[in-house]
Amino acid sequence: MRKEDTVKLISAEGFEFVVDKKAAMVSQTIRNMLTSPGSFAETEHGEVTFPEITTTILEKICQYFYWSLQYASILYDSGKESEFHIEPELTLELMMAANYLHT
Amino acid sequence: MASEATVELESRCLVNLCIEAASQSRAAVEKWRRQRRSLERLPSQLGELLFHRLLRRRLLNPSLLEIFKHSMERIDLRGESYVDAEWMAYIGAYPYLQSLSVADCPKISSSSLWPITGMTSLTELDLSRCSKVTDSGIRHLFSIPTLEKLCISETGVTANGVTLLSSLTNLSLLDLGGLRVTDVALSCLQVLKKLQYLDLWGSEITNNGATVLKLFPKLSFLNLAWTKVTKLPNLSSLACLNMSNCSLLSIYEGRGDKGHLAELILTGATFLDVDEAFLHVDTSLLSFLDLSNSSVQSFWFLPSMCVLEHLDLSGSAMADESAEIIARIGANLRFLNLSNTRVSSAGVGILAGHVSNLETISLSCTPIDDLAVSYLSMMPSLRVINLSNTNVRGLIQQIGAEPDWVPSLAALQNLRFLERLDMEEIQVGDAALEPLSTFQGLRYLSVKSGFLTDMSFHHFSSVQELISLSIRDAVLTNAWLDSFHPPSTLKLLDLRGCWLLTEDVLLAFCHKHPEIQMRHELIHALPSDQDRSKHPSPRRATPRTSRWKQQQAKVSMLPLGPVKDSFIDQRLKYRREELLSLQFSSTLLVPVGSVPPELQME
Repeated sequence: MRKEDTVKLISAEGFEFVVDKKAAMVSQTIRNMLTSPGSFAETEHGEVTFPEITTTILEKICQYFYWSLQYASILYDSGKESEFHIEPELTLELMMAANYLHT
Repeated sequence: MASEATVELESRCLVNLCIEAASQSRAAVEKWRRQRRSLERLPSQLGELLFHRLLRRRLLNPSLLEIFKHSMERIDLRGESYVDAEWMAYIGAYPYLQSLSVADCPKISSSSLWPITGMTSLTELDLSRCSKVTDSGIRHLFSIPTLEKLCISETGVTANGVTLLSSLTNLSLLDLGGLRVTDVALSCLQVLKKLQYLDLWGSEITNNGATVLKLFPKLSFLNLAWTKVTKLPNLSSLACLNMSNCSLLSIYEGRGDKGHLAELILTGATFLDVDEAFLHVDTSLLSFLDLSNSSVQSFWFLPSMCVLEHLDLSGSAMADESAEIIARIGANLRFLNLSNTRVSSAGVGILAGHVSNLETISLSCTPIDDLAVSYLSMMPSLRVINLSNTNVRGLIQQIGAEPDWVPSLAALQNLRFLERLDMEEIQVGDAALEPLSTFQGLRYLSVKSGFLTDMSFHHFSSVQELISLSIRDAVLTNAWLDSFHPPSTLKLLDLRGCWLLTEDVLLAFCHKHPEIQMRHELIHALPSDQDRSKHPSPRRATPRTSRWKQQQAKVSMLPLGPVKDSFIDQRLKYRREELLSLQFSSTLLVPVGSVPPELQME
């Protein structure tokens, strides 16, 4: 995997998640950060820090990015649906993070 | 199509998945609740989404209300029968609440309004049909001077209570429908100078009281349906007037500024002389006119209404002679309802060619025949056509052609925008429906005829965009349903009265296509969540029908109760003796009201 195709997402505790750019672009907010014409620090280094999102939540969000990509391709191929499981304990934190990320 | 695609997309966005997971079950609620004691940082739109989802699933209870305290601006508790004073006690502490609706909540009484006194952020309050709210409840509202919208229709408030409202000077919307508002009470309200919307249907206002209406300088919507008002003074700011079921002598007077009405609803009104009634109204900007079931005999006032878009003459004395008058103002018409009139095919023929923008036409219960169908094909913008209960047979004789009888509906192929076709209770046969399979834009189709067989619907899979298909009373067989490939867009399949179909085949179809809602006497489906959110718009509907619809909505809600048993009526569940013993054994648990009155008598 080439470095240009990946993005580093950093949680509040400093954990780093390296994900495909394509996956991270599921989030409208990250898409804007990475593609906006002005030279954001994020655009140049391919790194985004989220001081308000904990590691557990960010991990779940990365899982969702990949699920969402996969879902989109499956939906058009076979019409089969897979479920994205969310642990009840995480729902509210995840909801707020998702709202911030526009996913 | 585009909007449907986004809805589909949104339903699996992470925010929605989270809300779905958080409101899955009582256990799930308990789990996330243990993590947080308040949702302080939750943006209000998310808080409201979660709140109302939990409410619809009956997972919300007073103790859970506390954690939503800081994240709610709008609360809609309409029709929730278990909402009571305890709920209001928590809601009264919400510091940012702007809008609260407890309409149709039977447990809300005057005293349960006490907690919301002094809520200075509240601007909208809906107490409609809370029959236990009386004049003393109105006193609790004094300390909310910020109120801008207040609905207290069909509550227990009297004329005295209405006079008390004069202290709420910020009111712009006031719904007093169904209350016995008198002329004196109305004159007390004249200090409400910001009033724009006033609903007084069913009140005791007379012509004397109506003169007070001149003193509301911003009034733009007025409903006086079912009152004794016969003459209306000049109201220059008025845009929308509803005087359904009144006996009208005149709207407006001779002199002075009369403004421009845009919407006029006179359903079921009786006129002494309709030309006299409209004499002083400037109708040059009128776009919406509803004269359904009114006593109008002559329609010579119509030509002056040159920008009319919506015209409802159903159930009136409209006939072919007057069709020419409609044709004169036809250029702007988008909606025309002529059902239950004496208009025949000849009348439709007069209209054809003059109504190039007409999108909706209803000709149900008129004596039109197949000739009218060919005239309809000359109205190029038509989207919705209703031909139910007419003499249309779907076949028309063509002179010199072989065979003599050809399907008349083929003429409608010209209509590029046609979306909806209703043909219930007309005697169409298989041959008549043949052209339908070529209608590519058709989304809604309903037919009801005992002459239809499998033959008619062999090609229906080819109508790609069909959303709703209703085939009632037809002679359809199991073999047809087995081989039927519904278009992917289909949401509703109504097969009521198709008596040859058997339960196992129907169930197999439902199983195979879970996304399609099936209606048939042998299938008992619970109403979906969506049905409950549909509330009639009080603006257009006349009060009686709106109340009737509310009742309908409630009836369909009943089986949704939290207890999953098949008993809907408790009287079916218990024998009479058991009920009587229950009445005395558990008076503390069972409120008196829940025991049927005929049993209390004994």
